[in-house]
Amino acid sequence: MAYIEFKGVVKRFGDNTVLDHIDFGVEKGDLVTLLGPSGCGKSTLLRCLSGLESVTEGRIVLDGRDITDVPASKRNIGMVFQQYSLFPNMTVEQNVAFGLRMKKVPAEKIQQKVADAIAMVELTGKEKAYPASLSGGQQQRAALARSIVTEPSVLLLDEPLSAIDAKLRKALQSRIREINQELGLTSIFVTHDQDEAMVMSDVIQLFHDGRIEQAGSPVDVYTKPVSEFAASFIGSYNQLDAAVFSEVTGAMVPAGHVVAIRPETIGIQKEAPAHTDGAYVVRGTVQDSTPRGNVLRYTVKTGPACLRVDVLFRSFHMFDKGDEVYLVLPEHDCLAIPESNAA
Amino acid sequence: MSSKAKAASAAPAQKTPLAARIFLGACALYLLVPFLTTLVYSLFVEWTDVLPSGFTLRNYAELFTNSTFWLSIGRTLVLCLVSVAITIVLLLLAMYVVVAVNRRLGRFMQFVCMIPYALQGVILSIGIISLYTGTGTILSNRMFMLFGAYTILVLPYIYQGIRNALNAIDANMLIQAAEMLGCGRFRAYVQVVLPNIVSGILVSSLLAESIVFGDFVLANNIAGTNYQNIQVFLQANMARSSGLSSAIVVIIFVVVAAVTAIVLKLQRSSQNR
Repeated sequence: MAYIEFKGVVKRFGDNTVLDHIDFGVEKGDLVTLLGPSGCGKSTLLRCLSGLESVTEGRIVLDGRDITDVPASKRNIGMVFQQYSLFPNMTVEQNVAFGLRMKKVPAEKIQQKVADAIAMVELTGKEKAYPASLSGGQQQRAALARSIVTEPSVLLLDEPLSAIDAKLRKALQSRIREINQELGLTSIFVTHDQDEAMVMSDVIQLFHDGRIEQAGSPVDVYTKPVSEFAASFIGSYNQLDAAVFSEVTGAMVPAGHVVAIRPETIGIQKEAPAHTDGAYVVRGTVQDSTPRGNVLRYTVKTGPACLRVDVLFRSFHMFDKGDEVYLVLPEHDCLAIPESNAA
Repeated sequence: MSSKAKAASAAPAQKTPLAARIFLGACALYLLVPFLTTLVYSLFVEWTDVLPSGFTLRNYAELFTNSTFWLSIGRTLVLCLVSVAITIVLLLLAMYVVVAVNRRLGRFMQFVCMIPYALQGVILSIGIISLYTGTGTILSNRMFMLFGAYTILVLPYIYQGIRNALNAIDANMLIQAAEMLGCGRFRAYVQVVLPNIVSGILVSSLLAESIVFGDFVLANNIAGTNYQNIQVFLQANMARSSGLSSAIVVIIFVVVAAVTAIVLKLQRSSQNR
């Protein structure tokens, strides 16, 4: 039995079904990410687990105990909110101590635990600072310290890094992951950023329209999308209709399927390759090239299709617009996935 | 950054343009003219030429030795404090329900709290008198009628202040954050939300206090000379001497200014915390 179990959880707001029979489990100590676009229900599920939102149908079990009807304040679940939600009238120290005071922890223990938690999030020296005088990153770390200091059964993180600049976000992603592992905390992280989900998670639950579209390890979800939606949301898969793929490569694809190809699996070269075993080779014309950090993305027109091709961005420009090139598509990276109208 | 550079970058923020200062000074002078004129009028025997003549403190001496005057000042302050306090307590409780229990009630609260804007003082006072006089309850007491009337009168002003303060801090989110730390909702409202809206409450109570202090219609209609407030006292003495009336107006201004200063000081200290 999993540490946390969602059993047929349904949440409706009036006629709008936000969560549609959610069933999955979370193992103790795992960091699970609920990933999906805005409005897909991931934050609602988190709030149902926290107790801030009631469920319409279904049960939620935590460590063998049914907590579906337990008030939020009695669940011993920590939560970090997107907007930090630090108490403005309290210092960092007082904010972090708040949960311990609610639990009636002796004053001398509170002092030690607060100091440890503040040190863990690297905010030592800011104990007496009020939230208004802290940067966004510092406020979020203070909120994290406040949530972990009470030693919750589960730590919930509701898009905690979305309001933080990119550089600091990467640093905080690592710190959250480290803290999760140091404390052995079971954590559920909500994000719409697939890169963030890849970096942080043990398991990703990909949400779409109130349902779980796909679940698995970051590598599995990234390399083996099970639907058009998963392929379009995770990575920047090229998706070709069966007919178009057949026209481009000459290979046959079962009806009702599309072919998804990750841009970084496609080889691009000036000359035709000598060996083409296990790969489709197609000719194309470079339409565009866009630097994306350490990756250079080409858009190559080949027959009726336009394919995105990612290569490492080296110090020289390999191909110019209008160049004729050969694309090498490894067969095992051309994934036939069921077509859906929802994508 | 060098100290010189720091000073240079700080300078534009500190210096108010000359035109702005002249404009502000002119506005302040314009607003102060009626008060200064009244003050001068209260300090002289007559003012029939360009300059007044016959400096005297007689009006103030008469007022300060008049127990009725002090009682009316005291009654007005009590009316202010009690009615504003009742309104604040009632609204804070009602807003707890709106913020933490059922947010959809917010629109209803807003509608109810805006109704007093549409009530004329005469209508309100006559309504209260006809409803409660002779009922034999505590509410038939004229003083309690006044407390009730002022509670209604200041309701919209204090509601707006409290609602804006609650919105500014996202009270619902703070309550949820406190809940996740093991705190009950009402306790979170008291321990987390209220300390953060003190400033808003003080500002709105200041506005309410000046409204109650300046009211004549309700006090005169409901209580008259039975429970004479400062405005009714002023009205009663207007016919006796214009110098004395001016002195009363000056004292009202000073008392209101003193109360305002105290409230603003409290607000600043709450913001500093």
